[in-house]
Parts: sequence; structure tokens; C-alpha cells
Amino acid sequence: MIKLVDVHKSYTKDKETIKGVSFEVKKGEIFGLLGPNGAGKTTLMQMIATLMKPTSGQVIIDGLTADKDILEIHKRIGFLTNEIKLDPMSTPNNLFNFFAELYDIPENELKDRRDESFARFGISPFADKRINELSTGMKQKISIAISLIHNPPIIIFDEPTNGLDILTSKQVTDYLKELKEQGHAILLSTHIFSVAEELCDDIAILVDGKIVAQGSVEELVRQSGTETFEKAFFKIYVENHKE
Amino acid sequence: MSTKRGINAIVGSFFRKKGQMGAQATSATFLVTIGFVIAIACAASSLVLWWFPYHLFSDEVYNVVAVNAPESFIRFNEDMQAYRDHEAEEYGDRYNYFANWEHMTEFEYSYDGYGWTEFIYKESDALYDFVTFGKWMRENDAYLTIVFPKDFDEQIDRRESGLEAQKPELLTYFRTNSMEYSQMKEDFVDEYLVIYQSRIRANYGLKITQVADSEIVDDPIPTVENAYGFRAFIDNMCRTFVPILLFVILLYSSMSTGTNVIAGQKERGTFTGILLTPQPRRSIVIGYLLGVVLKSIIPSTIIALLAAVFIGEFALDTVLVIFLYIVILEIFIASITIMISVINDTVVSAQTAFLPIFLILVAVCVTCIQSVSDRADFYMYLPVYGQFYGIGDALTGTITPAGLLVSSLATIFLTAIITIVTIKLLSSEKYTVSIDTVTAKEIKASLDGSGGTLLDTLNRITDNFSYFIAELFYPLFVLSFYQFLAMLPVVVAYMRKPEYSQFIQDLANVGTIENIMNKTFEVLGIFLADPLFLALMTLGYIAIIFTYFLHAGRVWKIKGLKNKIGSVGYPLTDKKHIAKHYGLGFVFGFLMMTSVVFIMLATGQISFNGFNLKLSGIGVFILNLLMWVPQGASEELMFRGYMIPAFKRRFPTAIGVLVSSLVFSAFHSLNSGYTPLASVNLVLIAVLFALIYLYTGDIWMTSAMHTAWNLTQGNIYGLQVSGNNAAHSVVLTNYSSDASSLITGGAFGPEGGLAVTAVTCVCLIIITVLLIVKSRKAQK
Repeated sequence: MIKLVDVHKSYTKDKETIKGVSFEVKKGEIFGLLGPNGAGKTTLMQMIATLMKPTSGQVIIDGLTADKDILEIHKRIGFLTNEIKLDPMSTPNNLFNFFAELYDIPENELKDRRDESFARFGISPFADKRINELSTGMKQKISIAISLIHNPPIIIFDEPTNGLDILTSKQVTDYLKELKEQGHAILLSTHIFSVAEELCDDIAILVDGKIVAQGSVEELVRQSGTETFEKAFFKIYVENHKE
Repeated sequence: MSTKRGINAIVGSFFRKKGQMGAQATSATFLVTIGFVIAIACAASSLVLWWFPYHLFSDEVYNVVAVNAPESFIRFNEDMQAYRDHEAEEYGDRYNYFANWEHMTEFEYSYDGYGWTEFIYKESDALYDFVTFGKWMRENDAYLTIVFPKDFDEQIDRRESGLEAQKPELLTYFRTNSMEYSQMKEDFVDEYLVIYQSRIRANYGLKITQVADSEIVDDPIPTVENAYGFRAFIDNMCRTFVPILLFVILLYSSMSTGTNVIAGQKERGTFTGILLTPQPRRSIVIGYLLGVVLKSIIPSTIIALLAAVFIGEFALDTVLVIFLYIVILEIFIASITIMISVINDTVVSAQTAFLPIFLILVAVCVTCIQSVSDRADFYMYLPVYGQFYGIGDALTGTITPAGLLVSSLATIFLTAIITIVTIKLLSSEKYTVSIDTVTAKEIKASLDGSGGTLLDTLNRITDNFSYFIAELFYPLFVLSFYQFLAMLPVVVAYMRKPEYSQFIQDLANVGTIENIMNKTFEVLGIFLADPLFLALMTLGYIAIIFTYFLHAGRVWKIKGLKNKIGSVGYPLTDKKHIAKHYGLGFVFGFLMMTSVVFIMLATGQISFNGFNLKLSGIGVFILNLLMWVPQGASEELMFRGYMIPAFKRRFPTAIGVLVSSLVFSAFHSLNSGYTPLASVNLVLIAVLFALIYLYTGDIWMTSAMHTAWNLTQGNIYGLQVSGNNAAHSVVLTNYSSDASSLITGGAFGPEGGLAVTAVTCVCLIIITVLLIVKSRKAQK
């Protein structure tokens, strides 16, 4: 569903932020993107979400490219990142309706979908409160609900459990598993090793704009010759990071 | 995909109770609107003055002060009083007399038709001494002062015997603490002085019908003319005040809503979410555009309706046409705000970027204020101008369909272009990607620096331009502020002197601007001998210096007073160094001016007439010296110590030197006797000082040179300093009868002559050589 072919991105002439990345995320798979800050994860995800264009290479979403079918891609993608915030003065209800209209969700489905989504995350009691009165966890749950408002086949989640308490975090990971079972293709970036270990079928480790290792958790541990996934990551990082 | 639904959703978000671009913008707009409504109410209240019972609230003040009253006026007053007393006796008392006077108007009835007025006679040579007049009025319960020229009777004589065509003029001063007094003044002139005028005519045996020929005071007859005047006033309001009000409200409300939308959403991080929806950029832009239009059009529509109802010719077509003009204008303004909103990341930066446009549009409005007969027809067809004139015309009952059509189409065409550009901009990742992460900061910096698109270049140019202008105008603001404060007491004191009456009369008689400037500089020459003026100017210059210390510290983010002072060219490091530079500067300044004087002496342009300084002049001499020190220091600070580093921050040093020198020269251009040669000389001197600043790295030396130069020139050799006459000098010099102003500089002083050019050029060569030697040394 997501296919990257030798993607490069440079903001300045002399410095490349993404130096040739290729990978594929299939239907019903959770693909993990791991890397330190500044490795290029956000840039990569913004390119997949069509917010940026690659300098060279191709990003193919469900067989479509951003040059021609940007709006079709938007219909197929749900993008969640900390940089996309909810209007603090609005309410979950208002926001849900607003985005439902922007995503052109038929009026007759709208109510059912909202009820279902709100019920799943326990948003209903707060549906008419202002966003700035809500907790971080609740805001994140509303963000998830809104980013998946159009039930997209492709889901891109940037640090979905960052800053959440254990219970909310569990709710989110469970939901992701469920989405995987339903056949969604999921691209996930995370800092938390346990989340990556638990969820990801395939993991790519991104260092300085390049994928330096890729495979399942077991494969990565085996390749690096360490005992745990955490140790494997640090070993791979140290080997590949140049000052 | 229904884009219409997307547009609807975005527009709808403007009007939802909770959320999106809500409260902030509306409350600000609301407050501004309220403010304007109050302003309108105040303006309107002045219209209804004539029936408003002000006298119920004002002091019981009826008396009139007559200054320099001629014999005839005093006699006239006595006669009037006697006549009233006589009439009053017949009616029993004054009140009944006036109450039964059938011709009396309601207004006169309310305060007695001068029955209780007493005249207080005073003498004064200063016809413009409003301070003293005010005091007399307060002391004597008077609301009005009439000032006669001293030779009023003679003037009348001469006029009546045909010797002089000019009629004598009376000046009136009235108290301003109640609006009623202005009306009372008018009435006194219309009712009382007019009778006095007829009395004068009668005395001279003239027929009263010959009004136009020999009136003393203007004689407005409150009939048809006045009614026409009121109508004209309303028309003027409709053409000026109302359109400007509407423009400002439209601009303000669209600025507050327009910048709050896209730029505000970028700042809050909510915009990316909207960009990710399957809505084309086109519908996002149009959605916000319509939202801003609908939201910010409400207050101005209300104002337009009120205006149409209260002061305009209310008719359905008028209201519709005005509404159409407003809508078109608002769409245009909104499209600009949306574009600016797209290219900015925060509300504040968007509002800052919008400010120049705000000012330009307001300036356009101001240029639109002209009488109907003066304006060219094609303005009706232009965007913005068309709307301004269209609204004014519609309010006064004229509608030009062609103007409405063409200006609307032109405006819509412009709007369409702006909107298309905006849509293109919104497709560029530079303006859409939210930038937060570490690498992103670098990206942002690189994007700003390396601009390639036309827009980036434009952005940079406007940015540099505004920096340039701000730095250029700062000294003007500071200088005029403090000099105004310093001159105020001196000027007020001068106004109370008889010379001022003469000065004003002279000003009225001389025609050209140049003459007026020369007259004014003559007065400045008088001030230069006034200890109060010298002291205040000295304080003013010191205040300028401190303002600059603080200003430089603030804009350049420098902490600590010592560092602030150092940053503008006064390093406080080494006392010996400072003393050496300052001392040397003083010597150099003295030598330079002395060589100028020698050149002029040698060429026979001036002659030496012995020593001049008297004991009485020593005080003023010292005060002059004390003034020249901060004067030189402040000018050096403004044009060298501050301006050169300020320009150096953005432009090459040469530009700083050049611009500061040109500005320095321009600042002296209003002085008397300024010639093209003087301007060149001043540029040369400024460049010389700038190079010395670059050479020494401080302005200690140039400040001393500046001071020594002015002091030597004015107070030692007795020559004019940049067009100003110094008061007391050590040496008395006279220009020879065959002196060439090309060499001596004429009225501007030596700085306008070739002698200074020669000396400055020699010094310029020396300093250039020194600079080259220094830079070679540094290279090695």
C-alpha cells in the first residue's frame, strides 16, 4: 500500500536529509520506523502524507502518486502526528463534524460513525467541552478519532503513545492491533521499544537519513548478535552513526 | 468530491460558538466599532449645538475684554448700555424688557442679549498674547476678548479717505472650556459688532446699504446661505468621514479575522490537519476568503446603514449600491489578508506584514479627500478609489452605474489574481509544512536565506526597505520631539512680546516659502541669545543622547548602560584614550575652521574688525559653548555612532557612510541660505567625519570636532553656523563689499562656500590615506 523507491530529500543544496530510502508497507502489516531525533523520520512521514515532495525518487500510495492524485491519496491516508493539533477553543463534537464535512462523509453515516468512534475511546462525556479543558490523553484519543474519521486503508502514526499514561497507551496499541486485523496498512514511528516489539511486523532503523537495518524484531536481534531488541538498536546505531 | 461542502464547512467554522477563529477577532472588531460609533456620536453632537441648552451647565460668564479699544467703541458701549437702562426702566426691570422684546430669539432670551455684559478695557502691544488674554478673561468673568489694532481709528480714517484699501482687522479670543462660548462669540460678532460697524459708517456719513464696500468684520447673514452651509457640511461628511470610517473598519476587521485564520492556525498547529483532508487548495482558500468577508463585513454594513439613514439621502437603491461597494471592497481586502496569512507563520508576523498595506490603503483614502470638482472622472473606475468615491457619491444621492460596474469589475479582477497567487502559494511546501523539529529550524533558516522565487526576493526587499526607512526616520522623530519640547516655552514667551505681532504681520505680507523660512530663522537668531533657549536646547540634546543610548541598547539587545554607550561610538574603556581623542578632535575642529577663515581672509572676502566680546556677552558665550558640546555629540551620535553600525548590520559599510552623510546634509536643508553647494559641502563634511569614525572606531574625536567647528565658526569668528546667526562672538568679522557668496557661502555661512570645500577635501584625502595605511597594516 505504501511504497518508497529511492527517496531523497534535501532542503539545502549541500545537505541531504533523506539519502535514498526504499521500503514497502503491505496490507494488514504494521511497519515500524525507529531512529533518533533528527534522523529524518518526520520528514519521511510528511513526504508520505504528501505534505512535502521528495527531491528525487517516488512515493507511491496505493498505486497513486502525489503529482496527479493528491486528493485521492488524502482520502486513503490517516495521518497522526504531534505537530497536528486540535483547535483549543473548539469541542470534540464541532471538530468531528467539521472534519467529517471536509472529508465529505455522507450525512446519514456521520452520526453513527461519531457515536461509534466516541464510544470506543470514551469521548462521549466530553463531546461538548472545549479542547483546552481536556487531558493530554483525551486530546490524543480525539486526534486519533479525527485522523481516522474517513476510515482510511493507510494509517501513518507518528509517536502515537508519546506522553500518554499506561492505560491510554494500552488502549491505543490495542486499537492498532485491531486495525491491523481489519487489513489496514500501518506505518508507525516510535521511541518506545516495547511498543515496537509488541506491534511491528517489520522494522526499519533510520540513522542520518538512511535505513541501516530492516527486518522483524527477531531478525534484527539475530543480525546484531545481541540479546534484546533494545541492545540491538543501540549497537546498530553506534555502528552506523557518523559525527 | 463535493468541494462546495468543504467551503461551507470552512465558512461555517467562522460562525460557530465554540472554536476556530472565534472570539478574539470579533471582540476586537466590536470594540473598534463601538469606538467609532462614539466618535460619530461626538461629531454629530456638534451639529446639534445650536439647540443644545449648554448654558444650563456653563458658568455665568458674560463679560467681554476689549484690548486697545478705540474711543468710538467705548462710546458705543456706553450708549448701548444707556439705551438698555432706559428701556429697562420703562419695562420695570431688565428681565421684563428682554422678555417682551418681540424680535428677540430664544437664544438671546436665554442669556440676556448683552444686557449684563460689562466691558473691561485693557491695553497691549502683543496682539497674539493669548496667555495674558486668557488670564484677563478668567479674572473678569469674560468669555471673549476683542483685540483692536492700536491704530484702529487711523486705519478707518485712511480707509474712508481712500488712502488705504485694506480694512482694519479685529482679533477675537474666546474661552474654550465650554462649547457655548464659541457660539456666544459668533453671536457677539453678528449682533453687537455689526451694529458698531453701522455706527462707524453712520459717523462717516456712509449709507448703510454700502455693506460690501466698507465692512469691518465679516457679516454673515444667517439666511439661505447658512442652510446651504449645513447641507454642504453633511455632504462633506458623506464624502470624507463616512468612507474613511468604513474603510478603516473593513481593514481592521479583515486584518484581525484574516490573520487569525491561516497564520493563526499555523501558529496553533491546526492547519496541517485541514491541508490533509481531500479538499483542493482552491476550496480551502475560497472557504477562508468567504469566511473573512462574511465575518468582517457585518460592522461596516451596520455603519453604512446608519450613515445612510441619518445623514445620507435614504433610499433603497442608495443602500444597495453602498452595500455592493462594501462587499466588493471587502472581498479585495480579504483576499490580501488571506494571502499574507498564507505566507506567514504567526498572527503577529502576519499582522506586521499587513500593516504597510493598511497604511497604504488609508493613505489612498486620504488622497481621496478632495472636492468633487477637483477630482478626475477616471478615478471612479479604479479599484479602491472607485469604492471610496462611489460610497461618498451614493450617500449624497448620486449613483454612477458605469463607475460602479467598472470599478467593481476591476477590483474583482485584482482579487482573482491575488486569490490565484494565494492558491499557488498554498501549494508550496515552504508555506504549508509545519516546522517544529531540530532539523526543521535549519530548513527554515535556509529557506529564508536562499530565496529563489520572486516572492522571496520581494519579501527581502520590502524587509530591507522598511529597516532602511525606520533607521532613516528615527533621528527625525527624536530630534523633532526634543526640539519641540525645548522650543515650546521659548516660543510661548515670544508670543507674548509685541515683536510677535510684528512677526505675524510680516509673515502675512511676505509671499514665498523662502521668505517665510528666512523670517523664521531670523527669529531663531534672536532665540540663540536667549539663555532660557540655550539651556533648554542643551537639555534637549542631552536627552537625545540618552534616548539613543537606550534605543541602541533595546534594538541591538545590549545589556548594561556602559555597553549601550559603547555600542553607539562612545567606548568608555580608557580615560586617557578618551581625553586624547576628544582633545585632538577639538584642536582639529578649531584648525579646520581657522584655515577656512584664513582662506577667506587671504582672498579678501572678509575683513577683521577687532574684538567684539563684551562683559555682558560672556554669559551667553559660555551658554553657547555648553550647548555646542551636547549638540555636536548628539549629531555625531545620530548620524555616525548609531546610524553607521545600524546600516552595517544589513548593508555594506559604504552604504551606511553614504546614506548617513546624505541624511545629515538633508537635515540641514531647511536652514536659511541653503544652496546646492552647501548640500555638497555638508555631505563632504559628513563623509569626513564618518571616515574618522571608521578610523578611530569611536565618535569621541568627531564629537569634539563638531563642537569645535560650530563654536569656532559662530562664537569665535562670528560667522553663520549652517544658516544660524550666533549671538556673541570673540572676533568681529565683516564681509567685504565685493565678497563672493560662492566662496563665503552667503547666508548659510562658510559651510555653503568653496573655502570649506577646499579644506574638507584636503582633510578627506588625509583620512583616506590614513585608512588605507591602516588597512594595509592590518592585512600584514
